Amino acid sequence: MNCAVRLGLCALLAAAVSASAAESKPAPARAAASVRVEFTDTTLPNGLRVQLVEDHGAPVIAVNVAYDVGSRNERAGRTGFAHLFEHMMFKGSQNVGDGEHFYQVFSNGGSMNGTTGNDLTLYFETLPANQLELALFLEADRMRSLDITQKKLDNQRQAVQEERRLRVDNQPYGLADEHFDELFYSNFAYQHSTIGSMQDLNAASVGDVAQFFKTYYAPNNAVLSVVGDFKPAEAMAMIRRYFADIPRQSEPPAVDLSEPEQQAERRETMTDPLARATQVQIAYKTPAGNAPDLYALRVLSSVLQQGDSSRLYQSVNKEKELVVNVGGFVDERIGPGGLYIGATVRPGRKADDVEAAIYAEIERLQQQPIAEWELEKAKNTTRFAYLQSIRSAQSRATMLGTYTVKFNDPGLINTRVAGFEAVTRAEVQRVAKRYLQAKYRTVIVTNPAPPAAAAPGA
Amino acid sequence: MKSPILAVGGALFAWAALCGAQQPAPESPAPDSLKGVELKGKAPVNPQTLRVVLPRAQEATLSNGLRVALIEDHKLPTFSVQLLLTGGGLDDPGDQHGLAMVTASLLREGTAQRTSRQIAEQFATLGGAFSASASPSSGETAIGFGGLSDKATAIFALAADVVRNPAFPEAELEKYKSRFLSQLQQQRATPNFVAQEEFMRAVYGTHPGSYVVPPEKVLRAFTRADLERYHKAHYLPNSGIVLAYGDFTLANLVQQLERAFGDWAKGEARAISLPALQPPGKARVLLIDRPASVQTSLWIGGLGIDRRSDDYFAMLVMNHILGGGPASRLFINLREDKGYTYGVYSFFNGSRFPGVVLASTDVRTPVTDGALQELMGELRRIGNEPVSDAELKNAKRALIGGFALSLDSPQTLIANLATQKIYDLPPGYWDEYPQHVEAITAADVQRVARKYYDSGKLQIVAVGDAKEVKPVLEKYGTVETQGAVNQ
Repeated sequence: MNCAVRLGLCALLAAAVSASAAESKPAPARAAASVRVEFTDTTLPNGLRVQLVEDHGAPVIAVNVAYDVGSRNERAGRTGFAHLFEHMMFKGSQNVGDGEHFYQVFSNGGSMNGTTGNDLTLYFETLPANQLELALFLEADRMRSLDITQKKLDNQRQAVQEERRLRVDNQPYGLADEHFDELFYSNFAYQHSTIGSMQDLNAASVGDVAQFFKTYYAPNNAVLSVVGDFKPAEAMAMIRRYFADIPRQSEPPAVDLSEPEQQAERRETMTDPLARATQVQIAYKTPAGNAPDLYALRVLSSVLQQGDSSRLYQSVNKEKELVVNVGGFVDERIGPGGLYIGATVRPGRKADDVEAAIYAEIERLQQQPIAEWELEKAKNTTRFAYLQSIRSAQSRATMLGTYTVKFNDPGLINTRVAGFEAVTRAEVQRVAKRYLQAKYRTVIVTNPAPPAAAAPGA
Repeated sequence: MKSPILAVGGALFAWAALCGAQQPAPESPAPDSLKGVELKGKAPVNPQTLRVVLPRAQEATLSNGLRVALIEDHKLPTFSVQLLLTGGGLDDPGDQHGLAMVTASLLREGTAQRTSRQIAEQFATLGGAFSASASPSSGETAIGFGGLSDKATAIFALAADVVRNPAFPEAELEKYKSRFLSQLQQQRATPNFVAQEEFMRAVYGTHPGSYVVPPEKVLRAFTRADLERYHKAHYLPNSGIVLAYGDFTLANLVQQLERAFGDWAKGEARAISLPALQPPGKARVLLIDRPASVQTSLWIGGLGIDRRSDDYFAMLVMNHILGGGPASRLFINLREDKGYTYGVYSFFNGSRFPGVVLASTDVRTPVTDGALQELMGELRRIGNEPVSDAELKNAKRALIGGFALSLDSPQTLIANLATQKIYDLPPGYWDEYPQHVEAITAADVQRVARKYYDSGKLQIVAVGDAKEVKPVLEKYGTVETQGAVNQ
């Protein structure tokens, strides 16, 4: 067996492979459940959690630092701050110049980026394996000693405001998409957008940046995940050298993410001068991302709206020709989330008819169990997607860091698939009845408007 | 073509002496002052570029002429197959641009044995993926399928039925047209789609390269018989090549292919006849009005090189330095130094016919003037001045070092293999690639920059609020204004 434990990504041969049949069959069958990502998980004295996956399959190293902070931690008047701060992390620290981080990574054949979400902020780079020390040095230096100045803040404020224009203000439905969570959530933590308002971005000060850095960018609020072609002892020694003496800070204040139970449907109509067709957005409240019902809800979403075999595509798009597109997802947050459905109405069709057709499919999920093949579809597509997702070194590093920050359970990288395998048709019907009720629903319908009728905000 | 992608690498040293020296300098100037990026020189960079050996594909040919290349990869119990059929949109009849695209899209809408819905359900049940595409400017129809290894036999059988026996039902064709056209209307609400369509028309005129999507009138007129004719003439095993990676041996793969495609009858494969290409004769400035737009989308460039061009490696290095990523001149100047944009990149491509060179960005409307000035300034500068030694060295380092990352991405390895096969490049092409990159000089970079970003032939496309943007654009030539896109 060519599967050594030191291969981080360890595909084990399933027990029952008929040797005699092996030649006349495709590759030996293996169960996805037997593919494991072997990792170590250590916490340094300063609180930095370190996860290593040794994998000599390709001469690369992937470094991911996940900070336990996102837009959920922002306060009123400072929306967009977590993301603006993320930009500041590329503007230099004690031993790294302004812009040097991306310069060094890209000039040495690597790739890198940072992303900010509702729940967490990620920084990551993938480099040729002989540049592990560079990657660790760059991440440690900015965790220890970010260089914060008014000039750098003003510069990145402009880049972020341009990003907002690019993604929100200048896109059809951009403002409706942003407004959706404002209607869907009652709690400020998830109610406001991650990109933030122009006004709040303008209000952010150097003092805010310094305070945010001290509070959230401490080793005890971060997870360092390293995957790839290295010797663990050497990597660990380097990690200790660069990170171990970064001082611990006091624990950041906890954020209340709880939502009151929704009592009635929430609904709004908007107009958008950049749109050319009507858009319908619908979401139902779902529990936190690690709740057991999430598995069945995801199977349900797969059956309802994933791909061209899905019920909504077949019925609402293909057969009834009511929409240009229809689809959605279940999100996976630390706190309460949603099952989202989005559709763009075809020219000459009515948003009301689109909604009615979608609700008819949801009712069908509540009244009858899904078909056997639909359950099999959800499980097989999930298994295939999972296997693809653990292929690259960076993707594994990202998953480990994300699961750790979100749910304090990096082992989910190995156990998630089994959760889907266990879902039954009866459970799918049960969660359809439990969560997809009209009173838990939020709807925004966005109509095109002539350019003169309404100017986009900000 | 896709919108500009962010490539790795680049360099950051800005130059000092601006005054328009046009002489090709044999030696680049010393690294000069930095603009937008500060290097402290303390980061522990390993000075060695990691040289890697790329895996060789194993090859075979089926009895019906279908060629096969495999990169074995037993890391996961999955597989991926790409079947490339020579032809694609370039084989469209001159008055039927889009026929290859619609034929590919209709494959999964019904076969002799299966309805559209059955095909969708069966692929989904297996957890298998299937795709087929052939844009009007493509030289190949690209069919892809893959999934879990323990479902491989069923997925191969289903994919073969769809590829070989499509029924092109009349009703499905009409439904497809309606779906496609309503989606198109929506795509045209986004500024970059509009900019791309206009830019391609400006560069290619009536050549197939101009069509991001087929003309609506042509698409509406397609009949079932048109699709059948295209399929019969161009879906042939002897004009195809299978590129695969994943958890099988060559013997396994060939066995699967023999079972699913082995009795697919040969036909008369024909060479692609490339239509004549008339390069843009003069510089133009094109403005598409988008009232209520808060940004201006700028696409600036012209005709580039085909994939086999001798200028390929010089272009590769030039593009990295100019706008190949966040460490490039454009990014550092327009974003990091000026704060005009969230992102600005340059791009080039090329296939059987010359592709485009392109620099593009989205900027808030009030800074359109400044952004355009800087962008045009950078395009001039890289043609007028040799790049510095440091820029050249770092671009090469980035391009060669990046090969290590491709070993973590079988998709990249397969894409490289496809390039070598489609354009008939030498078998050792990717092994020798680093040497070709190393050989590029500052003079080479300057030469291709001046040749392809030729100011006398630059096409400037802007999508934005015309009343604000038009006066700015007039500085660069007579502005040809198109009607509002969101009316």
